[in-house]
Amino acid sequence: MWVTQTVLAVLGLSAGLAVAAGLFSFIIGLGVISDFADRTHTGDHILLYEDSVALGGMLGNIFWVYHIAIPGGSVLLGVFGIFAGIFVGCWSMALAEILNVFPIFIRRAKLIKCIPYLIAAMALGKGIGALIFFYRGW
Amino acid sequence: MASCSDTIYIKADRNIEVTKPEVTLGDVLKIECANPSVTSRVKTLKLLKFHDTDRKNKNRTCVSILKVIACIHEVYPNADVENAGEQDFIVTLEEQKTAGQFVHWVKTFFVVVITFCGAAFSIMAFNNDVDVTKLFGQVYESLTGTESPGFTILELTYSIGVIIGILTFFNHFGKKKFTVDPTPMEVEMRLYENDIQTTLIEDFSRKGKELDVGNSDRSGSSRT
Repeated sequence: MWVTQTVLAVLGLSAGLAVAAGLFSFIIGLGVISDFADRTHTGDHILLYEDSVALGGMLGNIFWVYHIAIPGGSVLLGVFGIFAGIFVGCWSMALAEILNVFPIFIRRAKLIKCIPYLIAAMALGKGIGALIFFYRGW
Repeated sequence: MASCSDTIYIKADRNIEVTKPEVTLGDVLKIECANPSVTSRVKTLKLLKFHDTDRKNKNRTCVSILKVIACIHEVYPNADVENAGEQDFIVTLEEQKTAGQFVHWVKTFFVVVITFCGAAFSIMAFNNDVDVTKLFGQVYESLTGTESPGFTILELTYSIGVIIGILTFFNHFGKKKFTVDPTPMEVEMRLYENDIQTTLIEDFSRKGKELDVGNSDRSGSSRT
């Protein structure tokens, strides 16, 4: 009995390590957080931001695995929603940027002047898309 | 005095911030010469002057090292100038801090909240996406033969593993660093800065706005 428990423990531990390494190098590698730090001119606090990412990852995982109830109701839900939304919005754009979507597309389509409209359209499209997605319950 | 045939060594960083609109060579360069009087004279040579200091987008320019050498040659035509630093560099006029500490802390607070929520969201989205619950149930069943009650040692060690993995990856918690290496965020931040600086320099030179020899002086670059 304790053999299987040990095997399970080793398995879980390695799974956690691998997931953490993969997911978090992805977040850092996309440069979302260095972008935040640069945009707000708070580069001297990046160690704090790292702590915040680390804490978010750890607590979020525990919260998810153990279905922990957190008091605070819909207010906290709204707060979490907006901040997670901002993060994911930046993340999805950073992903498109890393994959060179914009330079290639703009060069092919010979668009130079309408880049601001392109960006506005993309932001609106993503927002409306997310709304429809949740509204229709897909 | 003006006939100097010594070698003057100059070195510029890539990104220089100045606080006064009149920029001298000593503000932007490190200068070394065997003759100390030459060094101090070269340091006071005027390189450029920022006009429209109240307009923020005019407070940055890009200078070619050739311009600097031309500047020195005007005073010491026979001097031998050796560049040991960057070939192009950015000069930014940075006003004294106007935004208060309060704004700074508010911004920091917002970034902290965003990154916290974002990281929590990411890990939960990942767990859901690959269906960790189902996978753990299957693993538990095939190893023990009984159906998983939901919260087993697998879930516990997974959570511990995630914590260890994150801390190892980021290499620190709070102010306590585990090794002397820079953390991945510090590396990423420098890479990002480098990209920005390269882009700025290439932008300036492509638009022909770089302060260089061989093109006439424009506004914002008058030497006197």
